[in-house]
Amino acid sequence: MWLWIPLRSLWRNRRRTLLAIAIIAFGTAISFFVLAFLDSSRDQIRASSVAEYGNLQIASPLLFDNEAEGFEYLLSPDHVNLITESLYNEASFVARTVQLEFPGLVASGNRTQVVRVRSIEPESGLIDFSEFVVAGRPLREDDVASVLIGRSLADRLSVEPGDAITVTLTTVDGAYNATPLLIAGVYGFASEQVESQLLLIPLRFGQLLFNTTGVDRVIVGLNDIRATAAARDRIAMQIAEAGLPLEARTWDELSPFYQQLSSYFDLLFGFLTLAISVLVFFIILQVLTLAFLERTREIGTLRALGTTRAEVFRLFFSESVWLALIGSLLGVAGGIILSLGFNGLGIEWMPPGTVEPSVLATRIGLSTAVLPFLVSLTATLFSSLYPALHAARLRVVDALRAE
Amino acid sequence: MENNGRFCHVRGDRFLETRDLSKTYAMGTETVHALRDVCFVAPQGDFVVINGPSGSGKTTFLNLVSVIDRPSTGEVLIEEQPTSSLSERELAALRKSKIGLIFQSFNLIPVLSAAENVEYPLLLQRIEKHERRKRVAGLLAEVGLADLAKRRPSKLSGGQRQRVAIARALIARPKIVLADEPTANLDSETGASVMELMRGLNDEHCVTFLVVTHDPAVSDYAKRHVRILDGRLQEGGEDVVVDSTS
Repeated sequence: MWLWIPLRSLWRNRRRTLLAIAIIAFGTAISFFVLAFLDSSRDQIRASSVAEYGNLQIASPLLFDNEAEGFEYLLSPDHVNLITESLYNEASFVARTVQLEFPGLVASGNRTQVVRVRSIEPESGLIDFSEFVVAGRPLREDDVASVLIGRSLADRLSVEPGDAITVTLTTVDGAYNATPLLIAGVYGFASEQVESQLLLIPLRFGQLLFNTTGVDRVIVGLNDIRATAAARDRIAMQIAEAGLPLEARTWDELSPFYQQLSSYFDLLFGFLTLAISVLVFFIILQVLTLAFLERTREIGTLRALGTTRAEVFRLFFSESVWLALIGSLLGVAGGIILSLGFNGLGIEWMPPGTVEPSVLATRIGLSTAVLPFLVSLTATLFSSLYPALHAARLRVVDALRAE
Repeated sequence: MENNGRFCHVRGDRFLETRDLSKTYAMGTETVHALRDVCFVAPQGDFVVINGPSGSGKTTFLNLVSVIDRPSTGEVLIEEQPTSSLSERELAALRKSKIGLIFQSFNLIPVLSAAENVEYPLLLQRIEKHERRKRVAGLLAEVGLADLAKRRPSKLSGGQRQRVAIARALIARPKIVLADEPTANLDSETGASVMELMRGLNDEHCVTFLVVTHDPAVSDYAKRHVRILDGRLQEGGEDVVVDSTS
């Protein structure tokens, strides 16, 4: 009876019950949709960050923190071998590659541009940009004076695959080195900044240009992005045990853009959820206060028959539990429908700092449902506390006098 | 009233007793004395009809002896146990175990069927389902509502609702039933039938009844008459005084 008295009371006041459920469901659905949208956006940025940085990188903290005065941060082949050996102990390890990056100047005709010249291991399958090539071909292992340039830079320099550009840079000894490079291909990337500033050349040729046998970082690919932090901790421990003055940093630690955007998303969702919770709280508070007020005499009767205050509270609080459960569940269902409908529209937009439009989408998952569900549930239950406590605390004789 | 062979002997104990019971209300700057130093004793099995004009203090008296309200001064004793020091929880326990209440407006729970309304006090007492159902069916049959057990109060006539209320008041086998104007919302024929029923239950189950009423017809069913006037209780034209030392 404790179960269905509240249910029947809700059914009896169908219009008010439906209104309350609709408000809770609406709040939950909006929260769900916004969270699903932000999660999808976060996924896109995460994928782009991992494509740019790998799962984690191992390098000197001097390099990570831009505190190097010379080239003391470069890793020797022995260091790379030691690191590589330790990586084989990591269960989630899939692949590793190395990079060497220096600033330089690129020129074509009378146009010049400051760039970052990154030496990569072509065909390594890890951050070799082969999947981003939009014209020409990716770099090959046996390439020598070949370069992959970004689409924005190619447009700016008015060059295309097969053309030559001149790159000028400083070797580790401080000597200038200028060399013509043949454009093997043009890549497109999510970030306009990357496209306009990053040149990719084969590692061996790069080491020749910079006059070093070293690299500046080891990049690690893992089989599961969720394993990154734990893998970082284990790898860092092994590096420390090997006595190397290096650090392992994850892709999100290396990507300030992701960190800033992620914090912004958290703030946005937090604010929206708070606003919706406050709205749901006050509307449900008003609805329940009115509903319980209309039943003052019923409360008096229940108490006169020997129902304790705690039992009256339980009866009335149970009604809000049902409201909250039904409203929140319907809200999650509504959120799923809204999100799927939105995905079906396939709306495109150009995010700031990008060169390609991306499709606005939502990601529906368990986590997208749980948080809005719990927030609505909590807001509704909190809003019912006062009316239920008020109902339980009524003096019997006063409650019986109510019209 | 005829007892048709059934008769519950009034036992000379002090089942219900009030000592110097007073209730005052503040109305603005004035103090209203709703009840003044009422001393009253009802033994088990009694059927007391309390009457008096509107505003005389009848309902206040009933509220106090049914422990849904607390007196300003004085004491209500049930089975010789004082109630003024009991907590809200203890008073609720007392109401559900020893007191049955019948209201002028029936006060049935609208979302419950007739049977469920009657069953509710047993639910409060955590009585096992099978036993609950058995007792409800028996009592509904006794008040002539066996066929209407599943109907909601809104689908019952006034007389039928009051019968449900009577069954609800009796289902937990209380020692006393307090009825406030039980016939006020009923026509005279239905009122008479309800009173017949109450008096019959009094005779058969030896339950003490205190019936507050305006209705002179109700007096015919009383074993004892009491009148409340200006907050004072009179029996046989004299203020009732009880020797609390006896």
